Amino acid sequence: MSLWPRALSLRLALLFALVGVLLLGAIGFYLYQSLEREIAWRDDQALLGRLERMRTLLDDSASIEALRQRPQLYANMLGNRDSLLWIVSDSGQVLIEINPAALAVPQLPRGPAVQLRDALAAEPARLAWLHVEHEGRGLTLIAGKLLAERSQMLAAYRLKLWLALAAGAVLAFLLGWLVSLRGLRPVRELAARAQAIDVQHLHLRLDEVQQVSELRRLSAALNQMLTRLEEGFAQLSRFSEDLAHEMRTPLSNLMGHTQQTLRHPRSVEDYQNLLASNQEEYERLARMIDSMLFLARTEQPQASVNREAVDLHGLVEQLCEYFEGMAEERELQLVNRAEGTLQADPGLLRRALANLLANALRHAAPGSPVSIASQLCDGRLEVGVHNLGEPIAAEHLPRLFERFYRCDPSRAQPGDSGGLGLAIVRSIMQLHGGSVRVESDAHGTRLMLLFPLGRP
Amino acid sequence: MRILVVEDELKTADYLRKGLGESGYLVEVALNGLDGLHLIQESEFDLIILDVMLPGLDGWQLLQVIRRKLQTPVLFLTARDAVEDRVKGLELGADDYLVKPFSYAELLARVRTLLRRGPPREVEQFRVADLELDLLRRRVTRAGERVNLTNKEFALLHLLLSREGEVLSRAYIASQVWQMNFDSDTNVVDVAIRRLRAKIDDPYPCKLIHTVRGMGYVLEVQP
Repeated sequence: MSLWPRALSLRLALLFALVGVLLLGAIGFYLYQSLEREIAWRDDQALLGRLERMRTLLDDSASIEALRQRPQLYANMLGNRDSLLWIVSDSGQVLIEINPAALAVPQLPRGPAVQLRDALAAEPARLAWLHVEHEGRGLTLIAGKLLAERSQMLAAYRLKLWLALAAGAVLAFLLGWLVSLRGLRPVRELAARAQAIDVQHLHLRLDEVQQVSELRRLSAALNQMLTRLEEGFAQLSRFSEDLAHEMRTPLSNLMGHTQQTLRHPRSVEDYQNLLASNQEEYERLARMIDSMLFLARTEQPQASVNREAVDLHGLVEQLCEYFEGMAEERELQLVNRAEGTLQADPGLLRRALANLLANALRHAAPGSPVSIASQLCDGRLEVGVHNLGEPIAAEHLPRLFERFYRCDPSRAQPGDSGGLGLAIVRSIMQLHGGSVRVESDAHGTRLMLLFPLGRP
Repeated sequence: MRILVVEDELKTADYLRKGLGESGYLVEVALNGLDGLHLIQESEFDLIILDVMLPGLDGWQLLQVIRRKLQTPVLFLTARDAVEDRVKGLELGADDYLVKPFSYAELLARVRTLLRRGPPREVEQFRVADLELDLLRRRVTRAGERVNLTNKEFALLHLLLSREGEVLSRAYIASQVWQMNFDSDTNVVDVAIRRLRAKIDDPYPCKLIHTVRGMGYVLEVQP
């Protein structure tokens, strides 16, 4: 389980808060640093100014003693509780001392110019010192300032910054949440609309025009999916209907014929005829169920083919032998012009070609040739079965390979495949990753199997 | 020859009993797996026809029990022709299978094959009435006259002669002569039979190839 919330609005709010904290934190850090530096600089300037004034006082006074007698001169000047001042002679004698925190006199290196440093005493302090010659002796002037007040002030400032940061984060989270909820409203509306689409309402579509641009593509994709689903669904229900209808015909023959025969006593011959006729209908039903099962299996996505190298000419030769008698009865000549080898499932390929040949023999004009030819074209192998005869009307061509589709519904021939032969051909080709095509005009009808080449 | 039919579908069991009985077999019927098991333990059979979907003890379980001690040939019947089902049955020790709906001629042919025991004898010369076929010399004569047949006609006649008296279904003929193992919804077999008849039957008074309506073809001398 993840701590990351599932709701998109909560996620966005958390991200808003994170961004807020980062931004506020960075700004606060920068401001704090600048303030600290500024205060330190001002304190240093004040210390240096104080040293300067002390030196002026010393120069103006007759002697250091006189200065010691008039402490108000510098006491006024110092005033504050956190200011420090020492004047120390080279011999170590403290001449003047203002030291409210009672610090020890600091030991400082002597240099030619003014120097600054942090004193690491009991209480942290900032010191500036200067060595001067006065009335023939060396004096060290030391000015200082306790840092306690400054750290207190900065600490308070830091606390305020943290509080502001926390408040900012909470505010960013809440605002972010509100904004996300508001911003994601189109998504909720889309969901509500999508929810309304079920099996009974597959024709409904998501509104693409009113959508925000990010969702428009999603809606368009969903709409395309819906269109495909609707087509598939329609095909499926049409198919069930067709199936029921196709089974109804033989069943009604069976029932009618049987009932009619049973109404009166008949001769043995009549009964035999009835049973034989029934048997034919049963076989038709059994064949249809076999074909349906075959189609259902080949159309399963996990169905696979066992490909092996098939010699096309040999295979077609076998089929020609099989159909030879039928062709001769109709005075048709079978012409085998297929050649080459093909990676395919031999049993399935034979079945597909047999169905095409049976179809061609059924529709060929008497006395004409029926030819099976193969050719390489556009990186694929085309195996076509061609026959002369009345052309198929253009409106039938796209649906020729659909199940139960007959160009002339009234002309269901007793020996025909129940309208499934070509559907089986198509599904066999789909199994092989190929397709089917049909051309029909005054020059005859050609049904083709298209095998893509160069794939395993 | 005693045959046990284990089948829970009453109508199927009934017509199997009648049909096999007419063909001269002694048939016992068990309507569920446990009855079947009981019968197998009590008496001996030459063949067991086993439906896979049975109440109580199903066909697979019964088959396993049978194979633990008996070598009786088993033909199983199934309504599911998924490859896995067939493979499972054969792996468990069944000798053959049929997928429902099957043709009765087909069943009878399988039963005869299973009961024949041992490999079929290689016959090289066939003779029915005055029709003779010599497999080695690829010669066919009727009433002493030489008949010229094409390769497929010869193969067809050979098939009919080697199964003399048995009704062969069109699907079986197509698979044996042309290796077409699927229903091609054509009358190819009828056409081939018609052409064969034209050569070996039509010119002679005694017809040998007979159509059995709804079942197929049989070659035999009929009174």
